[in-house]
Amino acid sequence: MVLSLWIQAILSGVTNGFVYGLIGLGIAVVFRGARIINAMQGDFALLGGVVAYLLVHNLGWPLPAAFLAAMLSGAVCGMLVERLLIRPTARRQGTDDSYLLVTLGGAFAVSASVLLYFGRDSYVLPGIGGDQSVDVFNAAIRVHALALIVIGTLVVIALRWFYRGTRLGQAMLAASIDPDGAQTIGINVPLVRTLTFGLGGLVGGLAGMLVTPLINLHYEMGLLLTLKGFAAAVLGGLTSPFGAVFGGLVLGLVESLAIVTVSSGYKDVIAMTILILIMIVMPQGLFGRRGRMGG
Amino acid sequence: MVRSVSKLLICTAIAAGALATAAIAQPKGEPIKIGAILSLSGPGAGLGQPERAGILLAEQAINARGGINGQPVKIIIEDDGSKPDIAKSKAERLVFDEKVVAMIGPSLTASTGAVSAITNAEGLAQITFTGLGPKIELTYKSLYHVLPPQELNARAMLEYTTKALKAKRIGVLHDTGYGQVVLNSLNALHDKYGVEFTAVEKFEVGATDVSAQAAKVRAANPEVVFVIATSPVPFRNARQVKIEQPIVSAIGSASYDYIRGIGEFADDIVFPEFVVGEDPKPEQKEFVAAFQKAYNALPKNFEAAGWDSAQILASGIAKAGGAKATPKEIAAAIRGVHQGAMAKYDFSRDDMTGIELSSYVFSKVVKGKFERLPFVAK
Amino acid sequence: MSSRRIAVTASRTLTIAAWIAGIAVWAALPWLLGRGSVDILVFAGLYTIAGLGVSFLLGQCGIVSLAQSVFYGIGAYSTAYGTTVLGWPIPACMLAGIVVSGLVAMLVGTPVLRLSGYFLALATLALAIMGHVLFLEWDWLTGGTLGIGGIPHLSLFGFTLNTPFRFYYFIWPCAAVVLWLHYNLLRSRTGIALRAMRDAPSAAKVAGIRVESLRVRTFILSAVLGSFAGSLFAHYVSFVSVDSFGIDRAIGFLLIAVLGGARSISGTVVGALFVTAAPNLLSRLGEIHPLLFALLLIVAVIFLPSGFGGAFADLWRRLGGSLRPTVKDGTP
Repeated sequence: MVLSLWIQAILSGVTNGFVYGLIGLGIAVVFRGARIINAMQGDFALLGGVVAYLLVHNLGWPLPAAFLAAMLSGAVCGMLVERLLIRPTARRQGTDDSYLLVTLGGAFAVSASVLLYFGRDSYVLPGIGGDQSVDVFNAAIRVHALALIVIGTLVVIALRWFYRGTRLGQAMLAASIDPDGAQTIGINVPLVRTLTFGLGGLVGGLAGMLVTPLINLHYEMGLLLTLKGFAAAVLGGLTSPFGAVFGGLVLGLVESLAIVTVSSGYKDVIAMTILILIMIVMPQGLFGRRGRMGG
Repeated sequence: MVRSVSKLLICTAIAAGALATAAIAQPKGEPIKIGAILSLSGPGAGLGQPERAGILLAEQAINARGGINGQPVKIIIEDDGSKPDIAKSKAERLVFDEKVVAMIGPSLTASTGAVSAITNAEGLAQITFTGLGPKIELTYKSLYHVLPPQELNARAMLEYTTKALKAKRIGVLHDTGYGQVVLNSLNALHDKYGVEFTAVEKFEVGATDVSAQAAKVRAANPEVVFVIATSPVPFRNARQVKIEQPIVSAIGSASYDYIRGIGEFADDIVFPEFVVGEDPKPEQKEFVAAFQKAYNALPKNFEAAGWDSAQILASGIAKAGGAKATPKEIAAAIRGVHQGAMAKYDFSRDDMTGIELSSYVFSKVVKGKFERLPFVAK
Repeated sequence: MSSRRIAVTASRTLTIAAWIAGIAVWAALPWLLGRGSVDILVFAGLYTIAGLGVSFLLGQCGIVSLAQSVFYGIGAYSTAYGTTVLGWPIPACMLAGIVVSGLVAMLVGTPVLRLSGYFLALATLALAIMGHVLFLEWDWLTGGTLGIGGIPHLSLFGFTLNTPFRFYYFIWPCAAVVLWLHYNLLRSRTGIALRAMRDAPSAAKVAGIRVESLRVRTFILSAVLGSFAGSLFAHYVSFVSVDSFGIDRAIGFLLIAVLGGARSISGTVVGALFVTAAPNLLSRLGEIHPLLFALLLIVAVIFLPSGFGGAFADLWRRLGGSLRPTVKDGTP
């Protein structure tokens, strides 16, 4: 019985960890390409979830098609955010704080619109493998959670390949590290920045599709996800997608092990204390060699 | 989009209904103003929106039957965004600028605390949707509650557990908001009912996965599990980690949204509550039929509480002499027994509610619908 | 020469006239507005004090603090628990809150303030989350979700400050004193050291400024302001619960600082007015109001990159600039 409890805690921690990591991943992608903390990342997930729900329930689309549409709509939203919010702020010499606030305003706007047009109810999105779960030594994990872990891992690998092996990925890195230099060697920096946000939105929409079957769609979920995702991304050093997922896992496991060993009431206190300690002891983050570039 | 269209339809339906009835009995003169502060946005929107549906329906019904002593009633509804300080500003405005004769709401405990300090100083009647709050509220003699104190909710849960299920060992899985409040009351009662809480685990509002907490509850081998939360996640996780014991929940989770969110795992969860729209008690039939006609949906407890709050105020104002009555006279006129759609209240009691255990209805979820159980608490 | 003197005199007259006009408007407002609106202005005063703490940290040290809700909460609970349970006199309770907040800020700030940038922002967010959880967990002290009611109103010279009208004439002078102290601090040696630390940290170190201790002291000062505002809030509303000290409140205080313009003192006041009045006024437009607030926030951030304070400074400079040439033309 005790063993199964520990295993359950680990399974639950890994599930939550990947949820935090998937949001953190998007924050890291945007930060890597634009040096901006995007407070809307959780709301990209909310939007992706809403699009998928409407397509599946109102138009009867099959799940994989809705999945793709949610990702694409996330990408379009990301690009719109860059054009409508980020670029005008940059034109007026916004500071780091302005970017944070303008995306925070965007997050409020998404949440308010969902409440207004979609309602206060929580909506169920079917998961991969329905509601079935798998037994591991008398502990349970949902098939959908397993799928989330596998897809999350695949996304990390794909992003690694994208940044190392594609011209666009390298252009994104160049445009963020040295915008002027990138411009002179013929990179269309504004376009690349728009695409960076598009990529962030794509990952966000994907996260939405994967997360909502676990928690149900709800107009307030965006900011909650962003907070934990931000913690995951910073732990991972802010610029590394792999680091973000790892940071999420650390956070998720600390939380769930705190539940088993100490108490569920003090779970957040313990997790946040450890988070602060890690940052003090490892000022580069767990993975980013240049993680403090944010500072 | 779908929602806004349906909302529009509802509004039109209500307006059309109001017009049709206006021809029959037309209340005349200056409207009598009642203020309402509800959480229509923010985390409390899940409470405030159903409450508003009940209030609007009652307002329409009151005016359709000729208003209060022939004068129309107007309920000014304000949104506090689930924040107590906004609730306070709105209350100052409604009480002193709009000069309402009585107040309805708010939806959340903290907002009630902020607003009741104002209404109490003025002796203005306030019918709130929260159970009894901090002790000081017992000294507020114009603050009435249409929802039971959490202590009573806790007793209803324990009545069912000890009498219908004959169980003594209970595991609790609860959130840090609503769940915490109910838990505090449960803790105060366990000696009286001779029960033991074998595991008590909590999680934050909005948690994504609480399987670890659920597994800890299961590991303690309880006979019954209480899940008290305002989110479907813990119910699903509880069943997923194979908690096969009966699950008893609390009134705050008894809504169609949550049941839909919990999906097939919702079957057999037991709720101590008040309104089972599928099978209403005789005194609830009028309200349920009216609600179904207006909104094309079945009401639950918060809709009924909204309806009751406006109806009780209307009868109180009428009793105190209509438009001439001062707020204090109205507050005094309300202090008495009311048979509402949700429950029978006795506002002359010390707890300012007077809801009895016998008003509770116990329901079980079967395929997304609530089924009234034969069990009745004494 | 003389034309310049006239210009200076004119500009000074303009300043004095603006001050007098401002004070007259301030004094007249509660007589003209409804009670609900005066109440909003009282909250704006409370938030000015707490927001100034955040703005001070951000403007002088570049620290993004999301932890102000914790100190606001400590102040509110000290006075709530002290007056209703312990029966202490009100000033003692407020002082206790300030001392506790200062100590917490010192103990937590010493390790945490070594971090910088987003790391530090996340650490303060973590503090806000921890504070909220502890306020909830220690319900013997805080009353948990039920809260604590019946907190006595403040009394001054025989007046009980139990209406928005009366509290208005108390809170704004308080805010003015705090703003004035803040203004003087910035012009003192400490202020110069702060600016040196912000603009040239390595040079400041060489010049013998103890950067770390200065940052901690600034954090303590900010916490004290938060606690003071929290205590006043508790006495004004006479009810506190954990819902008032969540992450959304911390974000609200940060909004005041950034919207106001972190380096501007007057901007903080306007930021506080925006954060309190905008949601209230917009909510009269119906259910769309949270969306409108979000859009308004976006527009304000985009079009006023240095905050309201920066925009005012610009306007003021332009006004002064347009004044000078006319005067010069008049005196050949």
